[in-house]
Amino acid sequence: MKKLLALIMVCMLLLAACSSGSSNGTESEKGSADANEITVWAWDPNFNIKALELAKEAYASENPDLKVNIIENAQDDIVQKLNTSLSSGTTKGLPNIVLIEDYRAKSFLQAYPDMFHPLTGSFETKDFVQYKVEATSVDGENYGLPFDTGATGLYVRTDYLAEAGYTVEDLQNIDWKEYIEIGKKVKEATGKRLLTYDPNDLGILRTMIQSAGKWYVKEDGTTIDLANNEALKLSFKIYKELVDNDLMNFHSDWNEFLATFNGGEVATVTTGNWITPSIKAEASQSGKWAVVPHPSLPGMESVNASNLGGASWYVLDVPGKENAVDFLTKTFGSNVDLYQKFVTEIGAIGTYIPAAEGEAYKTKDEFFGGQSIVSDFSKWAEEIPQVNYGMHTYAIEDILVVAMQNYLAGQDLDKVLKEAQQQAETQIK
Amino acid sequence: MHKIKRTFIYSILSIFAIISIFPFIWMIVSATNKSVDVTKGRLLPGTHLVENFQNLLNTVDLVPALVNSAIITMATTVLSLIIASLAGYGFEIYRSKAKDVVFTILLVSMMIPFAALMIPLFRMFGTISQIAPGIGIDTLTSAMLPSITTAFLIFFFRQNTKMFPRELLEAGRIDGLTELGVFFRIFVPTMKTTYAAAAIITFMASWNNYLWPLVVLQSPENHTIPLLISNLGSSSSPDFGIIMTTIVIATLPTALIFFLLQRHFVAGMMGSVK
Repeated sequence: MKKLLALIMVCMLLLAACSSGSSNGTESEKGSADANEITVWAWDPNFNIKALELAKEAYASENPDLKVNIIENAQDDIVQKLNTSLSSGTTKGLPNIVLIEDYRAKSFLQAYPDMFHPLTGSFETKDFVQYKVEATSVDGENYGLPFDTGATGLYVRTDYLAEAGYTVEDLQNIDWKEYIEIGKKVKEATGKRLLTYDPNDLGILRTMIQSAGKWYVKEDGTTIDLANNEALKLSFKIYKELVDNDLMNFHSDWNEFLATFNGGEVATVTTGNWITPSIKAEASQSGKWAVVPHPSLPGMESVNASNLGGASWYVLDVPGKENAVDFLTKTFGSNVDLYQKFVTEIGAIGTYIPAAEGEAYKTKDEFFGGQSIVSDFSKWAEEIPQVNYGMHTYAIEDILVVAMQNYLAGQDLDKVLKEAQQQAETQIK
Repeated sequence: MHKIKRTFIYSILSIFAIISIFPFIWMIVSATNKSVDVTKGRLLPGTHLVENFQNLLNTVDLVPALVNSAIITMATTVLSLIIASLAGYGFEIYRSKAKDVVFTILLVSMMIPFAALMIPLFRMFGTISQIAPGIGIDTLTSAMLPSITTAFLIFFFRQNTKMFPRELLEAGRIDGLTELGVFFRIFVPTMKTTYAAAAIITFMASWNNYLWPLVVLQSPENHTIPLLISNLGSSSSPDFGIIMTTIVIATLPTALIFFLLQRHFVAGMMGSVK
């Protein structure tokens, strides 16, 4: 009997230990509903979290009373947490501000419209690049305060180009056809492939079609637009040409992606400007890189600018939202100096147009042979055509990954896209 | 002929052993290398273990996360062993007409994936939070409660109880032990191996549990080790040296528990098959 008693004691002790350990949590829980405290969720400690810390610092110098809790979670974790909380209708534990990737934003805004606090009128939308404002709005109402741009560029190895007899000038404002021709020559001269891609990630297609103002869905954001999407068809053809000419190197994960260009295996990298720190990580390649405008789609209305990724800030409709709006609009919404710090300290390029006039944006980067890449990227960002990303970007892309493999294996393009269209329509309804 | 056969078997087994052990070696080797070397696929041990470890301590709160994981895991293991063994014992030893029906329902519940239960469960804890915030959302208790016992563990104990000699039970009763006395003084000591196996299973599951703690634990001070590792990889330029060092640290307790209880584990698992 004594043993039993001892056991019960141990159990109680354990439970007590747990609940006492957790009481800290509940206090801060109550705290987030407190008038002078807000909580923000974001991912990426070297990028978004650092930007938040700079914003917090800038805000605190004028508004010392508000306590800003910055909580770091991985992006997939934030998506999971938000989906669970919002679909169970429990707002407990939700933050005041959350960072959401632009491609996913509408799936949250349209599925849980009452859970987000509209920001219409609290900041000047015309001060932000237009494609970004479109991505963060639903039915004319602004829900998100735009943050970083995923403006794409073509990072090129000038030393490889020189071996094939090209200079950076030859690559300004080219289209994909010209890019492939250059790629063939570079491969002949150096033996290096042109670019590297993950076959399960069709980011390259997204950048191609957005440069022509198209997306996987029509402007309404819901009508699937695959079978008769000329831009998408052309992008498929270009992708196949890159593969058929053995210009495309395939990697299987992020790790390998970094290793491929850090190891000098490819002549160019075409992706969003957020890759800059990873390219610069290999210091021995300093001076060997340059960035030129993203290739356009040949033979159709398309610009030499596109976008890949990027995220924005959203305010949840929970107590403390007024403070959250105030924090966002006074920092990310209007502070030009703050945006200079984002560039110099993090390498983050915002979408706030007045910021581009600042000094930091014009700084020359020796790694890229003295090019002012930040100012170039923000110039290109303004040219990015705006599209409605809709709610299902990643779901449609899963279908297209299979379609692409079928097409590469030799099936007819029209048939492949028609099937993808049908599959998407049944799956997403 | 016999020798050739043996050589053949051993070489096949060696290949499989290398394949299964390679990820571990790579993990440990990577923990001693710089991030850039990890991405390049370096397979030789480096000299950056201490540096990685210091960077790790500087970037994240490792110790609180370890403490949280330890509290949750130990409490879950102890409580679920007690509850599941009592339940499994009861199902096997005592007679009742409803027993088989209840047990079938229990087994069916094993087939429902956790992802399907998550939203209702979260709702439930949302309501609990209003009544008793101490065990509601964002507390260590809430991360622990849903896994405090599982249908599998009850099933496991019931299967093993089948081997328990009834004569011992009768002897205990004749000597004047109460029913609980029989359980704690005769059953528990006899079934040590089963408890060891169950402890390993529960410990590992709880230590590595990710999905539920992820949705229910919001404050960073409540984060567990798997959540911490997930955060480390969230950057677009992650430091793989640090990540690998953390994973090595996170693997140590499970490895330790496994090696300590290994002998019993094999015996316990064999028992459940018989």
